Amino acid sequence: MKNALALILIAAASVSCNREAPADTRNSKPTVALVLKTLNHPFFVDMRRGAQEAADRLGVNLQVQAAEREIDVEKQMQIVENLIQTGIQALAITPSGSREIVSALVKARDAKVPIIVVDTRVDEKAAADAGVHTETFVGSDNYEGGKLAGDYLLKVSGGKARVGILEGIPGHETGDSRLRGFRDAVKATPGVSIVASQPANWERDQGFNVFQNMLQAHPDIDSVFACSDLMALGAIEAIAAAGRTGKIRVIGFDALDDAKKAIGEGSMAASVAQFPSEMGRVAVESAVKVIRGETVPAQIKVRLELVTKENLQ
Amino acid sequence: MKNARQFGTLIGLAVLCAILWILTPYFLTVSNLLNVAEQTSINAIVAVGMTFVILSGGIDLSVGSIVALSGVVLGASLKSDQPMLVGVIVASLVGLACGLGNGALVSWGGLPPFIVTLGTMSIARGAALLFTEGRPVSGFDAGFRALATGRAGFIPAPVIVMLLVYLAAHFVLSRTTFGRYVYAIGGNEEATRLSGVAIRFHKTMIYGVSGLMSAVAAIILTARLNSAQPIAGMMYELDAIAATVIGGTSLMGGEGSLGGTLVGALIMGVLRNGLNLLGVSSFLQQIVIGGVIVVAVLLDTILKRRNRSI
Amino acid sequence: MTAATDTPVLEMRGVRKTFPGVVALDGVDLTLHAGDVHMLLGENGAGKSTLMKILSGAYRKDDGDIRIDGRPVAIDSPRDALALGIRIIYQELNLIPHLSVAENIFLGELPSHRLGLVDWRGLYDRASRLMADLGLDAASIDPRTPVGRLGMAQRQMVEIARALRSSDARILVMDEPTSSLTSREVTQLFLLIERLTARGVSIVYITHRLDEVFRIGKRVTVLRDGRHITTRRLSEVDVPELVRLMANRDLSEQFPKVRAARGRELLRVEHVSRGTALSDVSLSVHAGEVVGVAGLVGAGRTELARVIAGADRCEHGRLIVDGRDVRLRAPADAIAHGIGLLPEDRKAEGLVPGLTVARNVALPHGRRLARLGVLPRRCEVALAGPIAEELRVKATATQPVRLLSGGNQQKVVLGKWLAGDVRLFIFDEPTRGIDVGAKVEIYNLMNRLTGRGAGILMISSELPELLGMSDRILVMHRGRIQAEFDAADATEERVLTAALGLAPALDRTE
Repeated sequence: MKNALALILIAAASVSCNREAPADTRNSKPTVALVLKTLNHPFFVDMRRGAQEAADRLGVNLQVQAAEREIDVEKQMQIVENLIQTGIQALAITPSGSREIVSALVKARDAKVPIIVVDTRVDEKAAADAGVHTETFVGSDNYEGGKLAGDYLLKVSGGKARVGILEGIPGHETGDSRLRGFRDAVKATPGVSIVASQPANWERDQGFNVFQNMLQAHPDIDSVFACSDLMALGAIEAIAAAGRTGKIRVIGFDALDDAKKAIGEGSMAASVAQFPSEMGRVAVESAVKVIRGETVPAQIKVRLELVTKENLQ
Repeated sequence: MKNARQFGTLIGLAVLCAILWILTPYFLTVSNLLNVAEQTSINAIVAVGMTFVILSGGIDLSVGSIVALSGVVLGASLKSDQPMLVGVIVASLVGLACGLGNGALVSWGGLPPFIVTLGTMSIARGAALLFTEGRPVSGFDAGFRALATGRAGFIPAPVIVMLLVYLAAHFVLSRTTFGRYVYAIGGNEEATRLSGVAIRFHKTMIYGVSGLMSAVAAIILTARLNSAQPIAGMMYELDAIAATVIGGTSLMGGEGSLGGTLVGALIMGVLRNGLNLLGVSSFLQQIVIGGVIVVAVLLDTILKRRNRSI
Repeated sequence: MTAATDTPVLEMRGVRKTFPGVVALDGVDLTLHAGDVHMLLGENGAGKSTLMKILSGAYRKDDGDIRIDGRPVAIDSPRDALALGIRIIYQELNLIPHLSVAENIFLGELPSHRLGLVDWRGLYDRASRLMADLGLDAASIDPRTPVGRLGMAQRQMVEIARALRSSDARILVMDEPTSSLTSREVTQLFLLIERLTARGVSIVYITHRLDEVFRIGKRVTVLRDGRHITTRRLSEVDVPELVRLMANRDLSEQFPKVRAARGRELLRVEHVSRGTALSDVSLSVHAGEVVGVAGLVGAGRTELARVIAGADRCEHGRLIVDGRDVRLRAPADAIAHGIGLLPEDRKAEGLVPGLTVARNVALPHGRRLARLGVLPRRCEVALAGPIAEELRVKATATQPVRLLSGGNQQKVVLGKWLAGDVRLFIFDEPTRGIDVGAKVEIYNLMNRLTGRGAGILMISSELPELLGMSDRILVMHRGRIQAEFDAADATEERVLTAALGLAPALDRTE
């Protein structure tokens, strides 16, 4: 225990020489922080690319950090706390937990760092309770996207289908909205019934296993909607393993390159494309506007498009 | 010999801080250091329990899952309008019970701790997911959240809890018979048994301590995130083991101290914080942290080989 | 191969080996002629195993010469020994129970197809042929059987087949091969040995069973205290003479025995049995007396000690301490009844190496010293200090015990019990691995203990120590008490004879 006390003394002694962050950063370019859920996913890699291009163009520093796993809220919180220390001028963040992230945003608010929320919304009630105000939300309307997928299914199935759904991580606003949008689109049509709906936590191998089990329990499934492409790709492999390629319609979300390839080959029917690099660009542009004192709209919708074999280029 | 090793760990921490001080001006500020302490507190608390277990010659892989299970039980209790104290007590009992379960299987069942706690790791995680149907429990009142957001002076509440836990645990390890037996069982279980110590009882209690510490960590984590997630605590066992081992506790048991574990946890917290401040990519962060653990254990092994006299 | 020629197959001359603190071999000779069965005799610790381990490359000799067929050779590793055709079969067989007989025999040299896959058919064929060749009854051992399913005798056969799997095996060392065999199986083994020697294999045979010595041996070498005593043809000696040669030594060591007044009965063991290790053991220890327990390795002495100390449970029989029937379920029970054990392996069972002297001494007394679980400051040092001084432990109370010498470590173990209320001590090999000066200190301590009314049950493999320090001596053989002597009537030969199982079993009516 003596060691721990000694440590504290050493730290305290040296701290007295270094109280504030040095002021010279004020003269150089402002820094915008982009905190992502993870960098292990092409979606976020694209987002970062778009953000970096915008940052270079506008002449600001971009600091990008992420946790290893999409679900690691705690790590995201630590990253936010640490970045605030480095004197960032604005924070753009894709929250790993819509409610959990509010505690971290409180620290941003206290440090007077403006917040731009990207891709996944922050829970409004939790934010209001904590007195956190966000400048804007940049993202696709996931509900609209889910609806796009549902409408497409109605069209190609002629109103008759037995659907299995692969959900994302429960409690994530992104996945929940997509799910709601899809269900709302198909619920009025009695011929379309959802026989199973299970989370595969955004992961490809879980998409494989969960869908394989679904097929076992419901051999009459003829369509599957996955709230993300990785899960859809896993489902496609499960379909291949069951020898039913081409007999089950697969609709995904994100329009990843692998998904587009699958659509071209015919193993996947469609995917809702988001434009993450656009999200990244707009996020940085909004951040710069806020830093400059300009106003930004409360939400900026980034377009969505349904990618099918027909419009694949 | 023991003290030289721990002093070495402390020097390692000081060197790390010095390097970061040179590389970034943001590191050695009061607010950042308090951040580090706060961010480290959860792992440090779990590591207390892990230190007890490893000192006695065992291992506990289930700590992360027990954090999740205690957390969701706490969350449910708070949501059902029970007073905060009730939730805290129930969560602690859940953690304690899981730990005692581990201990009983190891002591009376004679099963290897690695296997038992691996099983509990899965069972507790599944129980947490089942209990909440996979969804997190969020949104607690300010009184409870004060456990994370509160401050005494300028010291954050989690840091205060961490220090209190360490003081209490240190007292137990160094001044009570229970503490003596932890070291003795880890040092030579058969000799301790032949000296008339009730081995099975004490081993069970030791794992109970680990479970309890996981519950305490869960309480702080839940307050900090304002949410109890069934997927919380993943990989906590690795961080706790790393802190314990970097801090000088031998994986064979019988040697080590809590002070060392605290320094070990701080080394990891400082490292993570520093890498964030420096803007190092998260992939590189993983490599660096793993490398530090390997180097620390390597140094430990080399020093031990030199000290072996028999 | 060739018939016995003039040049011995193996000559070991002047072999020396020391370990820290102890001279294991002091210039030992051994000469083995081709086709001979050469018996190697000696008590525990005489140096037989060490000599054979040097021959098989497990140890390196410090000094001396080894010649094979008259050529000097260097044996620095087991591989060297194998290359020279030396094979050793240890008492604890080195077989892998889950693997088949054939796999065990050819372990490390499994025949394979070109792709690296094991050639199973070839393997089993070779195994069958080898065993038939050796005259092992191939029909009763299927080479595919997992070794774990075989009986001891059959496992021995497998081990022998393994040793002789290559035709260049010339010298075979067998260490107590018959210790787990019935007499019928022994006869079979001896037939095999005859066949082997007829083919030119030379055998060094270590045993304690003197009857066997004469059945198959040609020559015999006796070792004692690491020294070569004699080598003779077996036609020229008889059993009593061998016993005398094994035991006789100059009593140059001092045993400062002080007889104490014999008081009341502290411990009575009645008809205690435990598995195959102990059969119907009865004894008693009184205050003020030292009861020595002699016997060879495997006689059951340590098992007896553990039962009395509560470390193991006895299956039949009673234990009576201070006149009261006791049930010992754990060491804590024995300690509560005033019984303290100094274990045979003090490092593995007597001390916690990382803890200090004071904490080791205080370990059994935690509950007594603590108040509500908390130990008052320095209470352990306060407890251990005076004891360490009385025992003259050359270390401070706060040093970790692993740094102490063997003698001081033993004193710390003793100190554990002196700190409490122990009246009956069990010493299991108390002076093993301890230098002469420290040994005397321990003997003096024993005197002080008995002078204060304690009773001591002392297990020892050193006959002089037993004869010098005991008031009575019990001799164990194969789990039974074979003989009992008063100190005055005991001689080394008598004790050794009983330990070898040659004396008529006692009819002890109690």
